[in-house]
Amino acid sequence: MMPTPVIVLKEGTDTSQGVPQLVSNINACQVIAEAVRTTLGPRGMDKLIVDNRGKATISNDGATILNLLDVVHPAAKTLVEIARAQDAEVGDGTTSVTLLAAEFLKQLKSYVEEGLHAQTIIRAFRTATQLAVKKIKDIAVTIKKDDREEQRKLLEKCAATALNSKLIAGQKEFFSNMVVDAVMMLDELLPLKMIGMKKVQGGALEDSQLVAGVAFKKTISYAGFEMQPKRYENPKIALLNIELELKAEKDNAEVRVNNIQDYQAIVDAEWTILYDKLEKIFKSGAKVVLSKLPIGDVATQYFADRDLFCAGRVQEEDLKRTMMACGGSIQTSVGSLTDDVLGQCELFEEVQVGGERYNFFKGCPKAKTCTIILRGGAEQFMEETERSLHDAIMIVRRTIKNDSIVAGGGSIEMELSKYLRDYSRTIPGKQQLLIGAYAKALEVIPRQLCDNAGFDATNILNKLRAKHAQGGMWYGVDVNNEDIADNFKACVWEPAIVRIHALTAASEAACLILSVDETIKNPRSTTDGPPGPAGRGRGRPHGHPH
Amino acid sequence: MALHVPKAPGFAQMLKDGAKHYSGLEEAVYRNIQACKELAQTTRTAYGPNGMNKMVINHLEKLFVTNDAATILRELQVQHPAAKMIVMASHMQEQEVGDGTNFILVFAGALLEQAEELLRMGLSVSEVIEGYDMACKKALEILPECVCSSAKNLHDVGEAISLIRPAIMSKQYGNEDFLADLIGQACVSIFPEAGSFSVDNVRVCKILGCGLSGSSVLHGMVFKKEAEGDITSVKDAKIAVFSCPFDCMVTETKGTVLIKNAEELLNFSKGEENLMEAQVKAIADTGATVLVTGGKVADMALHYANKYQLMVVRLNSKWDLRRLCKTVGATALPSLTAPTPEEMGRCDSVYLSEVGDTQVVVFKHEKEEGAISTLVIRGSTDNLMDDIERAVDDGVNTFKVLVRDNRLVPGGGATEIELAKQITSYGESCPGLEQYSIKKFAEAFEALPRALAENSGVKGSELISKLYAVHHEGNKNMGFDIEGEGPAVKDMLEAGVLDPFLVKYWGIKLATNAAITVLRVDQIILARPAGGPRAPKGKTDLDDDDDE
Repeated sequence: MMPTPVIVLKEGTDTSQGVPQLVSNINACQVIAEAVRTTLGPRGMDKLIVDNRGKATISNDGATILNLLDVVHPAAKTLVEIARAQDAEVGDGTTSVTLLAAEFLKQLKSYVEEGLHAQTIIRAFRTATQLAVKKIKDIAVTIKKDDREEQRKLLEKCAATALNSKLIAGQKEFFSNMVVDAVMMLDELLPLKMIGMKKVQGGALEDSQLVAGVAFKKTISYAGFEMQPKRYENPKIALLNIELELKAEKDNAEVRVNNIQDYQAIVDAEWTILYDKLEKIFKSGAKVVLSKLPIGDVATQYFADRDLFCAGRVQEEDLKRTMMACGGSIQTSVGSLTDDVLGQCELFEEVQVGGERYNFFKGCPKAKTCTIILRGGAEQFMEETERSLHDAIMIVRRTIKNDSIVAGGGSIEMELSKYLRDYSRTIPGKQQLLIGAYAKALEVIPRQLCDNAGFDATNILNKLRAKHAQGGMWYGVDVNNEDIADNFKACVWEPAIVRIHALTAASEAACLILSVDETIKNPRSTTDGPPGPAGRGRGRPHGHPH
Repeated sequence: MALHVPKAPGFAQMLKDGAKHYSGLEEAVYRNIQACKELAQTTRTAYGPNGMNKMVINHLEKLFVTNDAATILRELQVQHPAAKMIVMASHMQEQEVGDGTNFILVFAGALLEQAEELLRMGLSVSEVIEGYDMACKKALEILPECVCSSAKNLHDVGEAISLIRPAIMSKQYGNEDFLADLIGQACVSIFPEAGSFSVDNVRVCKILGCGLSGSSVLHGMVFKKEAEGDITSVKDAKIAVFSCPFDCMVTETKGTVLIKNAEELLNFSKGEENLMEAQVKAIADTGATVLVTGGKVADMALHYANKYQLMVVRLNSKWDLRRLCKTVGATALPSLTAPTPEEMGRCDSVYLSEVGDTQVVVFKHEKEEGAISTLVIRGSTDNLMDDIERAVDDGVNTFKVLVRDNRLVPGGGATEIELAKQITSYGESCPGLEQYSIKKFAEAFEALPRALAENSGVKGSELISKLYAVHHEGNKNMGFDIEGEGPAVKDMLEAGVLDPFLVKYWGIKLATNAAITVLRVDQIILARPAGGPRAPKGKTDLDDDDDE
């Protein structure tokens, strides 16, 4: 009789372990990187992704693509996460970080298969990353903050580099200007929320505009709205969080009346309450009334009669931005509408933008906020434009905060690669091979840039290596001339922090994946579900049968 | 059918249909041992600095990447009853000392493996148990002799860091210096001159982005929340803490406001507004500049808070609220009344900050006076940060254990080999059959340095023979040199690889107990699992930041 197998774990638990498991994880990461590989660089291609609800997205932003992919492989998920982290921290370079991590793993695969201990590899990689980051910091060029002119020029170049690889690369000068303008308007904290992004279908990309102040779409209006003026100069603005409509004063209140006169009095009282509020607003001197909550028919009519403009159901963030731009504060009660809680701007007007009507607040005294109105053809196109501008804005913010830059276009990677290769030759042991592998992996960025542009990568990389060996520190791929060029002079600049973060994150992720030698998957705890899908890890199954 | 083991006649009939019943050495004991061995095998490769991580996906599809044995076991959902006992022992260790959970598994697994050999040799179970018992007692007697050093002054940051380092080393090898530095600072700063040290006072706040090197420590607390109102930064803040919602009071009993005439209706909302204003004003008048609430914040209340320049922070978790009270020295008020000066807490600065793209509210003490310190962990993936958090937990626990007992034993397998050596010679002096089991007990200790060596890619036997050799020369602090090439040995005291005495003490005790309990079982009776819908799973979410 066969001895009955010992079941230690719950039925349906899937375990896989050992080197095959590691290799399988590495392979999974390669697949993920493959998905975003071709999007890198100015000549990168876009991806069209249709999600399970049939919504189509066109993007070449690494983080966006990976987020939409709905990856389930546990190891590959790590790559998605670092892309997300990069997006959160610096906003750009999401494709590079994924590519780098995958390339690190690819270079290491042969070492793992040869039986080199994962911890040795991890140690070497940590050292290499530290060295690389130090090197970036050493060679990064610091910008002088005091020189406004120069700083602006630099910011524009960084924004242009970020936009270079996007769909709107054709209009990069137009947009980099706009992005820098937008960011310069913010206060020192540079809160991203204070840049509004509105999309209006129709028109050309160049019709997009930056509003120094706030703009938002006309809200749902009620009868009487047409009679209100649509343009004020130097109006006062009341920002409210009050429902200006007839409504119950309190949910659990009850009215008991004894005779018909009392009843009439109660009805009048309700009207009085509303008119009281309206009158207070009118008396305060405000010309424009914005409320988060609805403004009803009566109120609209009342304001129209008295030459006021009102808009109800304004989005909260729009209202907050208006507050930041025009001053004042959002009021929940009309009790104290004094001058200091009212906002102010030079010009308010309602304007037709494409097929929509927009409310503009211009010439705001505090103007710590701005709005970008994007125009363009297809909806997907505008969404991608919005993502691209987001990346550019983040880059500009980072550059202001950390004022050092490096040249892009693969030049910094080539320089680091050279530096690490030289370093590796000075140390003995396994570490030499591993740091060499790290150096080799860094070359993936220029290589991919060439591949995506349709160049002969081998040829260009050779030229680059030669140039860097001769001390041409900033030489990178020149996508316009199928050659190499001094990218620092060509003004392909990136904040150093983007590269530093990309390297740290990529190597952390690679180390994490390397340090795993066993996957144990418990069955999902659903009452009726099937006992877990078949093992995804292709590694050798654990020693005992289930 | 030579292997067939007859069942007790009629026993199966006494039980309900579907119940399983195993008994005897062959069916019960060996099977139990095998199960435990298999479990130990899984965690064994995670032991030590060079241990590998495991990727565990739990039944909620949450991914863990860790080499922390306690976490692996918790998520594994071990089903085998005997294996569960070992798991329980390791949980006990986690609660008792917070570190060394893997030690238990590896050691208990080794003990059982040795026991199997003894049983197959023909020893009875009770003889094995007796021998193990004696050996365990002896080991605990010898252990104090192994103490090579003790923590002198735990208020010294430098010393604390050097003691925490080995614990971190086994979890985050390569980052141990950086992390130990942070943890050391955090622990020492909240360790009062007199009184006890609470693990709970070192908080961890994980924020995605940057890299591990972006992590930092600060005195005070960090919450992943946004400030509610317009005020986002207050210096030298006076803090009023309310456990109730920041809203007007509502009656618990269902009541209806009765309005009799028009005047009452007119005055109603005005009265409500005035009341709110009076309340907020009263709070502001006491000098409070920051208001922390445990419930929702009403629009109206916020309006007045903005008017009176109060910064409003909302914390949903009661635990967070309680900890905040502790660190700023405030008393949480159950109702919205003006706090007395004693009830208000103070803090050097309270401000809203952006870390990565996450908004956080920071309560910061400039000087080292807060009762709570927070480690802000940065990392590129959630899994990595979770793992670092566990490493931090272990480090903090090590500190706690040292506060209780400041004795230290050498790590890196030195203590184990010394114990093995002495117990073997003790066993030889015993006349009875237990001599065999005592010697096997000693042999089981070898499993730990062996695991260390094998995880680092070094031949275990080579190392162990080398260690025995140096220990026989009287160098009882010699252990495995993890950084050396091949089976190198090093003085652990000089290298600073020291483990707290209590970790080893409880580890040996609990592991032996678990092993003995598993051995004692000679019958397994499994009732048929009840049908019907499965019992709801308890909350297994591990991010127990908010609820412990």
